[in-house]
Order: sequence, then structure tokens, then C-alpha cells
Amino acid sequence: MDNNRNKKIEDILGSLDTNQRAPAPDFFYTRLKARMEGKYEKETTKKWLLRPAYALAALLLVLAINVVVILKGEESSGNNSSDTETVQSIAAEYSLNNSLTYEINDEK
Amino acid sequence: MAFKFLVNNYQDRVFNTAIGIVQNAEDAEDVAQEVFIQVFRSVQSFKAESKLSTWIYRITTTRALDHLRSRKSKKRFGFLQRLFGEGNEPIYELPDFHHPGVTLDRKENAALLFKAIDKLPEKQKIAFTLNKLEDLSYVEVSDVMQVSVPAVESLMHRAKQNLRKMLEKETT
Repeated sequence: MDNNRNKKIEDILGSLDTNQRAPAPDFFYTRLKARMEGKYEKETTKKWLLRPAYALAALLLVLAINVVVILKGEESSGNNSSDTETVQSIAAEYSLNNSLTYEINDEK
Repeated sequence: MAFKFLVNNYQDRVFNTAIGIVQNAEDAEDVAQEVFIQVFRSVQSFKAESKLSTWIYRITTTRALDHLRSRKSKKRFGFLQRLFGEGNEPIYELPDFHHPGVTLDRKENAALLFKAIDKLPEKQKIAFTLNKLEDLSYVEVSDVMQVSVPAVESLMHRAKQNLRKMLEKETT
């Protein structure tokens, strides 16, 4: 049995002894020339941005911005009265009160 | 014209060497193209210290090994590669490789041998492929690999030992 196995192994080791060269595929030079002349499609910048990792990162960024905006919005909802006061003081400074308009109409 | 002549003269040698190492026709053509592109770009730095064929064989074996390493790292980091948009091809074990130049009666044995060759360390793989597939003498192999002839003899001896061990397991 051992002899048979050894013979089998030697046969396998010698299986390439009479082989011929694998020839290059047909039109190898044509395809090579095309590649060298840059006719193969190259990855553009836009395609690079569409990679899954970057799409995921962009989505997370948008979500993070949304969360920040929502949280900031909740904080500032408690400050409405001070905003109203600010608006009124500006209006007074520039004489934008409604009462002035009424006075003009009365005079007429 | 000169470049086309060079390609026509060497394309079979380059392709045959590449396919013996990467064991896949599509990959071998890729490697062969890369070899000739490198030859085209760096032919001016070829100083004729060795034969042109030696230089081209050296570029071929280097490129083929690079390709193998890249394929292995794709397997290892397949998940990350797919996330970054590379490696969208399914990652699966390559089927048995059948070299086009092997005679029909030896195809099955040759497939077993190539499977074992794929597991050899890089230097042993190169030496064995150049000697068995390209019929290069030990002197020519030593020129390509830039090692001494005794070093090539040692590589071949160890390659055959390793192949025998692997084939013993396959044939039980």
C-alpha cells in the first residue's frame, strides 16, 4: 500500500513534466494597449463619495445636526419674553410704534 | 512597434508564469498587463546587467506575489473592504485550478499538485514554478531570484519535501 501511495505521490509531483505553456489570451496586446491609453473606466470623485462608509458617515452627520438643532430649540423656547422685550426696545428706538400712524390719520 | 514586438515575444512566458502562481486566468491576465506596463515605464532604467528575459521574469514573479498578498488581505479584511466600497465581489474559495497546458491524462494529478503549490512559502513557490512550468534551469532561476545556485537547490529540495507531505495527507 505504501509503495502504491509513494508512486501516486511521485506521479502527482511529475504531472507538470510534459505540460505546455499556457498561452496568453487572444487580443492580449489590444487590451493592454487600451489599458495603457486609459480607456478603462477609472473611479471618479463622485463615485468615491458614494461608497457605503461615506454615505453612512454623512447620514450620521445630518442626524447629529438635527439633534443639536432640536436641543437648542428646546433651550431657547424658555427665553421668549426677553426676545419680545428686545423687539419692543428696538421698535421704540426707531419710532416704529403703531400710535404714531394713528395720530397722522386723526390730523387728516 | 518595438514594444508590440516585445509583448508578442514575452506574453506567453509572462502569462504562463503568472497563472502558475495566481492560479486564475483572469488574475493572470491582470498581472501580465501590469508587468508590461511596468516594463514600458521603466525600460530606460534597465541597465542590461542581466538578460531582458531575466528582468521580465523577475517583474512577473514580484507582481504575481503582490497579487496573491492582496487577495489574501481581501479575504482577511473582507468586511471592512466591502464597507469601503472595495471587494464587492463575493469572497469564496477558488475552485480547483486546471492549467491549460496540462495533458488530459494528468489533469487530475496536476490539480492536486497546484493546490499543494498554493500552500508553499513564497520563495519555494517561485523557484518551483519557474523550474517546473517555465523549464528554467537552476542557474536561470538563481538569476531571476537573485540568489545563489545552491540556494535554489535548497529551495527546490524543501519545496518537494513540503509538497510530498501535503500530498500524503491528500492521498490518505
